[in-house]
Amino acid sequence: MAPFNPYTFIQCPCSDSSPLGRPADSNSPTGSEPEEDERTFDPRAPRSNYSLYPLEYLLYCEDCHQIRCPRCVSEEIVTYYCPNCLFEVPSSNLKSEGNRCTRSCFQCPICIGPLNVTTQETKPPDPSLLTAGNAPHSGAYALTCSYCNWSSTEIGIDFDKPNGIHAQLAKIRNGGEPRLTAKERKERRKELSHRGDSAAVVAAREEIDGQALDLENQFANLKAFYSSQLADPSAGDNGLSTLGDLGFSSPSSLSRIMSLYTGGKLNDNKAKSRLGAMREALTSDEGLLVTDLDESALISQLHLSDHCDTASTEQITNQPPNLGEPLLHGASRFTSSLRPIPYLLRTKRSKRCPVCRHIISKPESKVGTTRFRIRLVAGSYIPSITIKPLVLPNPSGGSSSSNVGDLLTPLTPVHYLLTFKNPIFETIKVTLATPAATPGRFASKVTILCPQFDIDANTDVWDEALKDNDRGDKSSRSSGSHTRQRRGTEAGLQLEVGKIWERGRNWVSIVVEVVPASLRLEDGGMLREDEDVLEIAMFVRIEWEAENGGDDAGISSAAVGKDRDQKEKRELAYWCVLGIGKIKQT
Amino acid sequence: MATPGGPPAMHRSVAAIRSPPGPGSSQHHQPHHPSTPSRPIVIPSSSFGSPSSLRAEEDIIVIEFGNRKLNVGFGGDAAPRGCVWFGTDQQRRVGDFRDWQPEYRYDWRQAANMWGWGRDHELWQGGDIRGTDLGLIGDKVERTLRDAFTKYMLIDSRPRRMVCVFPSGLPIPMLSAALDSLFSRFQPPTISLLSCPVALTVGAGVRSALVVDLGWAETVVTSVYEYREVQTTRSVRGGRYLVEQTHKLLAKHLPDESAAKSNDGGEEDYKLSFEECNDIATRMVWCKPSKATKAFIASPNKTEGLETLVEQDESEAPAPATSIERRGRAQIPLLSCRTPTTLNLPWDELAEPCENSFFDSQYSHSSFDDHELPLDLLVYRSLLQLPLDVRALCMSRIIFTGGCTNVLGLRRRIFDDVSQIVQERGWEAVQGKAFDQMQANPKLKRKGARQATTGPTNVASQTPPDSQEQDGVWHDAANVVPEVDPIEEQLKRGQDKRPRVQGQMRAIESLGSWSGASLTTLLKASTVSTIDREIWLQHGAAGAHKIADVDQKSARQSLAPGGLLRGTNTGSSWTLGIWGTG
Repeated sequence: MAPFNPYTFIQCPCSDSSPLGRPADSNSPTGSEPEEDERTFDPRAPRSNYSLYPLEYLLYCEDCHQIRCPRCVSEEIVTYYCPNCLFEVPSSNLKSEGNRCTRSCFQCPICIGPLNVTTQETKPPDPSLLTAGNAPHSGAYALTCSYCNWSSTEIGIDFDKPNGIHAQLAKIRNGGEPRLTAKERKERRKELSHRGDSAAVVAAREEIDGQALDLENQFANLKAFYSSQLADPSAGDNGLSTLGDLGFSSPSSLSRIMSLYTGGKLNDNKAKSRLGAMREALTSDEGLLVTDLDESALISQLHLSDHCDTASTEQITNQPPNLGEPLLHGASRFTSSLRPIPYLLRTKRSKRCPVCRHIISKPESKVGTTRFRIRLVAGSYIPSITIKPLVLPNPSGGSSSSNVGDLLTPLTPVHYLLTFKNPIFETIKVTLATPAATPGRFASKVTILCPQFDIDANTDVWDEALKDNDRGDKSSRSSGSHTRQRRGTEAGLQLEVGKIWERGRNWVSIVVEVVPASLRLEDGGMLREDEDVLEIAMFVRIEWEAENGGDDAGISSAAVGKDRDQKEKRELAYWCVLGIGKIKQT
Repeated sequence: MATPGGPPAMHRSVAAIRSPPGPGSSQHHQPHHPSTPSRPIVIPSSSFGSPSSLRAEEDIIVIEFGNRKLNVGFGGDAAPRGCVWFGTDQQRRVGDFRDWQPEYRYDWRQAANMWGWGRDHELWQGGDIRGTDLGLIGDKVERTLRDAFTKYMLIDSRPRRMVCVFPSGLPIPMLSAALDSLFSRFQPPTISLLSCPVALTVGAGVRSALVVDLGWAETVVTSVYEYREVQTTRSVRGGRYLVEQTHKLLAKHLPDESAAKSNDGGEEDYKLSFEECNDIATRMVWCKPSKATKAFIASPNKTEGLETLVEQDESEAPAPATSIERRGRAQIPLLSCRTPTTLNLPWDELAEPCENSFFDSQYSHSSFDDHELPLDLLVYRSLLQLPLDVRALCMSRIIFTGGCTNVLGLRRRIFDDVSQIVQERGWEAVQGKAFDQMQANPKLKRKGARQATTGPTNVASQTPPDSQEQDGVWHDAANVVPEVDPIEEQLKRGQDKRPRVQGQMRAIESLGSWSGASLTTLLKASTVSTIDREIWLQHGAAGAHKIADVDQKSARQSLAPGGLLRGTNTGSSWTLGIWGTG
């Protein structure tokens, strides 16, 4: 079994304000909950998975003095780029060309590895066979996956040119059939209609019609049909053109309104003719597509194929919507219907505080760099918590060597050291609170031995070193910030309630006593996922005095001037979850 | 593009807004001045400069909510930009990368124990709100949408208008939870609601249709007439049922694992993971053709099979002899059972799950409860209950949609079976021995015919009596004499000269409800209801008016050109459309 690593998750305070179901709903499950203040946070509740974040994911707004999680920042896009070719994509292209790379970057539809354009070596070796017709062999290039050896020739697709694969691919169906885009189809049709009604033209037209409408064409046809239907009756004086004078004061609309109330005949006829004007699509030109329900060919194809010839659910979900085919329904299950996946574009985003609009994270706009210009990570504002088991040498001599990865024995008290490290340049006062028993089906008992303590400021390391020399003679100060007090070793291995275990320059360790619950279910049911992990919900409250100024200095520097030295009290409170260890199953 | 475009527009609009008081105040100085021809010109321009049009690029986001997935994209596109499935990986904490750890194996048994088998892949459990954590639904919607926006839409968090497509049977608490989450987390100024069947109808280019949604939780048959849902019938025979039946089939064929079982103690409810059964159901399960058409299908089957062999062009295709030998069996590798194995199933048995879950044809039609009608009967009944003229239109516009359309041959089977029932019974609501006798007895015939027409198809009773007396002619929608309707006449005087296809069974293809909604957005037709953010945050779903309270004319949903005008006045009294009536 994998060794268990202790972890901490922090609940962003923003999720408190999120409505826990509207109280107006009588069915709201939160109706029977106790008072808001008494409600403690349950890390096991399915909802809490959505509000917990590791410290590294959190940002901090310096102006609002609040933690900002990915849910409560507003984002702006700095750059769009393709993760494969690292080319920047202008935002105007995005609207027209979609969210995928339109160069030659593709992922393998089987294994999502990157595809390379390769030349095909399977050319007829005999030069005498190369007649003028097939000398410029059409399929000289193919996309191949260097990981699983998939090649686009397997789905009958090859390319004339090694570049601009995206555009070429859009014109080929699986199996190599060329495909008419909506625009080409229209042009072809127009061209034919000019040429009159000779038999060849009719045949050609039938050929175009015979091609089943693919999604894109059907959409285009429907769109054209609907807009023509909507536009037709308004070709007269009174249609969509009246949109401009929505105001009641325009003479024409006034008369229209009057006629509505007086029941006058002024517009009645028009309104009626308009109602009936819209009809439904009747031909494939207009977007109507009669389903071909005969799938027997596909069934027999399925009959002949192996399990591995069909695409897995994952492969199908990775496929981009295929505009080049009609709705495939069952046909999309074959690996032969999969298409190379153009890479999804990615973005670099800058993040703002939604309240004060200050930027709290801004990456370098160049695609190649991973640096940030501004990045206010929460880790440099709120204390970090590390967890490690505390090994007390047994008085009896037998050293119970408990390591980080070990399983906890049920109903045997264990001690853990929580080390809080203060990242800011002020002394902070930390208050901890936790429910005496963990919520959930298995209630382990938790006691924080020292729930309230101060952590010294994160001063310069050299400062401390210098002070160290100064204080060499002042050893009488018992609460010296830098001299480590090894209570465990000096004070006879005693855990004292209300005392800090160990303290350093900007950190403090305290002890938590845990009595793991027994993981035994009465009804012999099964454990749920992660239910054997002992998780402690802990409410952390930090108070500190910050120097005034900064944000409000600009507003009234004169008034604040004399208060500048005065300190402002700040506080921050949040729930966090400590994953301590796994309990042994008996 | 947004930023350079933004400020000038704002300046212009401020000027435009400021300008009306100018002439207005000057008029105050000259109160005796008669009418004001300049004023009508000014006000429209201020309406153009209203804050809503200030947003530089107004892309409207269209979201289709399904039981198991969300489709998102921009209004006006032909297909959604991305499709996100609900799954277990989304329900983990952020920063929990256990999926990627090499030694981690997803324990579906624990998940099944916690959520129920496969329930963690669903956003909501159909229409069942008992014990549902609505907040969890909101959270799921939020996270999934945020993922989709970041991954597929590539948009920032500026507020954008949204169009949501919901299944029409969704209970209000769930709708409300989803809307709450959208409004509070994404700040759209307005959300418009569309119902799936109507969006599908628009996406098929017709005004009336019979939408057969072979969905996940249930199969819903909705009749849409002139863009209005006139009738809905449903059956629990949906995708979930199919996957469960697939599990049953596979579990039956699993080698006996009694040794593994004894360790556990109790008998397991499920022997295979939901994910695997789902995978096999989408890959291998197929549907047998209808009994009537089977004979017809059987002969071309072989030749076509050989053709596909040639087409397939794959390495294992070479000798037809081996393929025929292989034909009888299907190999299915299974990994999620206690001991990974490969099943060797007769190929015909892979059609069984489909047969059992959708048809159950070994039982007589009278043995089913109302909630578990087999699909052919369900479609037939819902057609039967429709008024005659609606039925005539709907039966020739059958749209199959939903995830289970992927089962090869299923659509054909339903279609054929329904046609067969129609041929056997016609559109008679009454059936049985006594009825057959009565039909056979010429003396009783006239009376019988009258009785039948006073049944659910009461529209027929309005037809002139002599049309019923055409003895020997089968009274169905196809050959009934159309009644003379003054309004219909008037409508016909319009543009529509071509006859509409009606009275014959026909299936048509729709672009899908997402694309239908996208079309609706593109054409700026008014939706079922449009909800303003401010009003929602104040009142929630309780603020919605009942449809009956709102002027039917303005709330009516139609793709007529007036739709755009109507869309503007829905702000004051909004409804939840069809969802508000429940």
